[in-house]
Amino acid sequence: MLLLSLGLVAAGLIRTGGYGWFVQQRMLWPLVFAAVVLVLLGTYEAVQGVRQELKVPDSKRWGVAPVVGWLLLLPLVVLIGVSPAGLGAAAAGRVEAFTPTDQTDTFGPLNASNGPVEMRVYDFLDRALWDTDESLDGVPVRLEGLVVNDERVPDGFMLTRFMVSCCAADGIPLQVAVRGVEAPLPNDTWVVVDLMWQAPEVPYAEAGGATIVEADVIGVTPVPEAPNDPYESPF
Amino acid sequence: MFNVTDVRRGGNRHAPAADDANLGDHHHEHHHHHHGRSRVVLGPWILTLVFVATAGVRYLGGWLDGDDVRLWSTLFVSICIQALPFLVLGVVVSGLIAAFISPDFVQRRVPKRPILAVPSAGLAGMALPGCECGSVPIAGRLVAAGTPPAAAITFLLAAPAINPVVLVSTAVAFPNEPMLVVARFLASFLAAIAVGTWWARRGSENLLDALKDDHDHDESRLERFVDVASRDLVHAGGYLVLGALAAATLQLIVPRSVLDSVVSSEVLSVLVLALLAVVLSICSEADAFVAAGLPQFSLTSRLVFLVVGPVIDIKLVAMHAGVFGRGFALRFAPVTLIVAVSSAVIVGQVLL
Repeated sequence: MLLLSLGLVAAGLIRTGGYGWFVQQRMLWPLVFAAVVLVLLGTYEAVQGVRQELKVPDSKRWGVAPVVGWLLLLPLVVLIGVSPAGLGAAAAGRVEAFTPTDQTDTFGPLNASNGPVEMRVYDFLDRALWDTDESLDGVPVRLEGLVVNDERVPDGFMLTRFMVSCCAADGIPLQVAVRGVEAPLPNDTWVVVDLMWQAPEVPYAEAGGATIVEADVIGVTPVPEAPNDPYESPF
Repeated sequence: MFNVTDVRRGGNRHAPAADDANLGDHHHEHHHHHHGRSRVVLGPWILTLVFVATAGVRYLGGWLDGDDVRLWSTLFVSICIQALPFLVLGVVVSGLIAAFISPDFVQRRVPKRPILAVPSAGLAGMALPGCECGSVPIAGRLVAAGTPPAAAITFLLAAPAINPVVLVSTAVAFPNEPMLVVARFLASFLAAIAVGTWWARRGSENLLDALKDDHDHDESRLERFVDVASRDLVHAGGYLVLGALAAATLQLIVPRSVLDSVVSSEVLSVLVLALLAVVLSICSEADAFVAAGLPQFSLTSRLVFLVVGPVIDIKLVAMHAGVFGRGFALRFAPVTLIVAVSSAVIVGQVLL
């Protein structure tokens, strides 16, 4: 019974895509495997239990489990009861933002002739920080992420996307300071932002202190739904 | 055929002592899992209760909707979901071990002398690509199948730390520090072997006392497999949830800003990152990215973080207590922590 309900909830999370809020997308197939095994084990045990019960009434095979095993239901209770919403502004305030450290990447030129270049927040930061050719300079770029209002950006917000390598508990925020936004937006709004980065007069490496990558806004469009994959993967 | 597992004495805690002398009866006592220690019957009732409680929580949602509660539940649920596939893989393997590997086979294959058994168990750990949650039930079943406990413990420590997936993700997280991958492998392997050898020296300790194994002799292999897999899953899973509860709570309580205030001293930063690894309970496939996100710390102290995390953290202490017994967990945790820290510091000094 226990295993069966666990398996079914896992299957439900997979079907609705809800798992994407908790773990990285590549966990999909491991999760499918787990759900299938759980449902099979649970069904087998339930069938055996019924057969045993018919043969020897009161044999108590039904749902026998150590007390601690019932804790397995706690995540389900929390999942249904509190409806956790994934990482957002509350989490971003707790952890220092991540800055790409890879100095060996090579960057090709960007082509913005068909409108703003879409890229991941990670790649944007990577180019801004480490591309010696400054390919990002003056090119319109389109990023998608969450609004996090931050006192370090008085005339805009921190566009935030979490980088999650395994599960949400290891999420680290990636942030771009978007400047020149006229109408303030509430925290945790999903937005598509067109923006433009200009090479800073003082290179980041010489500026000292925490590195904040800034860009000027071209346009902000709130989107009603979060993307299918709310987190970026470092892979 | 599986007789070895029955050396355990007094599993039936409420049986009169005289029963122990009469092993024949003793076996019968185990049928259908009747013995009562911490067992609860009537699963459907509990399920109903749980869903009523859930509805209650939902109703109270008004004041549970605070940012912190939601963040806490996100962390808690995600640790559980992330661990589930690895746990399931672990119990499938442990079920297979129980159903197909007889003590005879283990006696023939596993080297008798700890000096050989321990390192080979460490290398065997490389073959299991997974997180630490899966290797706990597997190690438990290996012991139940007659593997020397020292070798099983080495496997327990090595498997999550040095498997290919973990090493590759370390290389991806630290593209400029190839030596860190080597150092992680070496330090984790040394720590696993050291702890395994320590356990072999103690010798007298009998892990079987804590392993709750009871089975019918007329079971088919399929029945045995399902029985062991589901029992291990419920058991280890319950403790995993307990560990996830503690980890999610501590992640919220301990502010990360503490980290920034202690970087100045190397000794202090090693200690702080060792504690952080224990507290955060991050999956071993992900911890390298968290370490990469702490550039203010020295490479050696981050190596400590990577070596300690997979072998000992809050989630694992809970699982060890569940599978091997509380006494084991209490002695094992501090020794493992000290060995892992020293091994990482020494390897770090030499290589980084």
